[in-house]
Amino acid sequence: MSHHIPEAVIWCLAVALTAVLILLVRQRGITAGVRRRVAQLEESLQARDEEVRHLVGVRLPAVAETMNQPVPLPGPLDERLAGTVFAQSLQSALELFTQAVDKAQARADQSAKAALKASMRALQGLAHEQQLAISDMQDRHDNPDVLRDLLEIDHANSQFGRRAQAIAVLCGSWPGRQRVASQLTDVVRGATSRIRDYRRVRVHSQADIAVVSRVVEPVVLAVAELLDNAARHSQPNTTVEVSLQPVHNGAVVIIDDAGVGMDGQEVQHAVALLSGQRVVDVSRLGDPPQFGFPVIGVLAARYGFSVSVDTRSPYGGVRAVLFLPSALLTHLEIDGPGTTPLRHPAATGTGRGTTGAPRSQQPPVRSPERPPAPEEFPAGHPDRLADDAPAVTGSTAGGLPKRRRRQPPAPRPAAPPPAESPSERTAEQTARIMGAFARGTRSGRDACDPPVTGGPTGPADHGAPTPDDEGKPPA
Amino acid sequence: MTPPAPRRDKGLVRPYVVTDGRAHPTRNTFDLVTLVMAHGDLPIGGLSPEKRALMELCLGGALSVAEIAGHLMLPVSVTKVLLGDLVDSGHLSTRAPIPSAQLPEAQILQEVLDGLRARL
Repeated sequence: MSHHIPEAVIWCLAVALTAVLILLVRQRGITAGVRRRVAQLEESLQARDEEVRHLVGVRLPAVAETMNQPVPLPGPLDERLAGTVFAQSLQSALELFTQAVDKAQARADQSAKAALKASMRALQGLAHEQQLAISDMQDRHDNPDVLRDLLEIDHANSQFGRRAQAIAVLCGSWPGRQRVASQLTDVVRGATSRIRDYRRVRVHSQADIAVVSRVVEPVVLAVAELLDNAARHSQPNTTVEVSLQPVHNGAVVIIDDAGVGMDGQEVQHAVALLSGQRVVDVSRLGDPPQFGFPVIGVLAARYGFSVSVDTRSPYGGVRAVLFLPSALLTHLEIDGPGTTPLRHPAATGTGRGTTGAPRSQQPPVRSPERPPAPEEFPAGHPDRLADDAPAVTGSTAGGLPKRRRRQPPAPRPAAPPPAESPSERTAEQTARIMGAFARGTRSGRDACDPPVTGGPTGPADHGAPTPDDEGKPPA
Repeated sequence: MTPPAPRRDKGLVRPYVVTDGRAHPTRNTFDLVTLVMAHGDLPIGGLSPEKRALMELCLGGALSVAEIAGHLMLPVSVTKVLLGDLVDSGHLSTRAPIPSAQLPEAQILQEVLDGLRARL
């Protein structure tokens, strides 16, 4: 019986051992699974850490850097996270950040533009005011030395005004000046007067094209920027050639410089700026800021002309072509009405007489007057000419009554008596007068002391016109 | 009357462009009342717009410097620079105004003559 007991114990032990073994094996499997899972989770955690670090270190700065320009941004680092909730959260964080950056950027840009615009408008006003003052001074002073100084000040002031104007335009302002419709030649020369090296610019053709009032100042500004670029990027001893050409749909201003030219990348950049499509950020114009092309782009887009700089000039530099469509062009008759009345005073039409009136007023007086003068009145008394003028008025043209003003009203009644009396004298009377004059002079000189010469001439002068004194001195 | 036709905008082309930066006329013979006469036989095609306008003005007859400056809407001193160039190139000639005091008075001459005749 005692043998059964150990056997039973052994069986129990065996069963227990087996159970433990099974448990152990199972436990081991579970542990391995848990360890694997932990490793996986750790790896995943690490990936997310990396992803977040990538977001903060690379992606967000990239968003802040590129602003609102269409540049490809760096994507997420780990492919395995794609589609997870975590990735979506990151994406929405990124979007929020982008929006915030855009908003802040826009606000900063807007306030910078507003501040710049306001200050530039003030400067523009001052420049205009100064220009008026300088023009007044130029009119007033006739001394060439003063004029030379004034011209220099004027030149500096014009450049200063252009800079202020360009920045104001870039900040969304209008050019700040309304001009009358002007000849394209004058527009180009106006642009020439606003750059530093204006002496190097040669304007060639004298095309009879005019620019409508609305776009005169914008075109002046755009051409001035092109000319400034051309002159600044070429040697000081070269010229900048400008030619104006009428074309089928409008007119072009062609500006050739003999400078360094632009390479492909610069041309691309310039074309993008000149298209006016890209929003210009005033804080990113470079150092020193390059205003030229952005300003031209803004003006071209706003006023409907176009500028291209992508052709090479035959002189080796850049050929800039500004195209003005027919809608911006007009036709002026500036010189015609002004000069024709000079030649044909009687033939002036009534409509054109408005400009011609001040000019035609003077010459007809002069031309008919000169021939009769030698014949009738060689003496050339002013009152004689005034007497003559009304007759001329009546005979040539009735539409010019203003010439009557030339008659001096006061001297006329007084003038005729002395003028008439000499002509009525007979030769005998005249001889008596002259004789009395001579005798009086002689007797006066004889009577008075030699030093007192003023005394005798006095009485002699008085005695001359009246024949009554004739008898007294010789007696 | 119709409103005045548009004329040149005075502030557009600055005087230093008109004179090419020069302030001193090549000759110092111009006065406000100096008369200027044009010689129509020389071509005016190659001249600057202001000089052409000036020539067209003067071709109608003699004008004084002051009148030319007024018509061209330029300062007198700038006009003198242009006139100096044009006189140099032979397009223009000038004549100083004849002062009326120096004109011989025919009446008096006649009287003197008569007096002398009566005397001798």
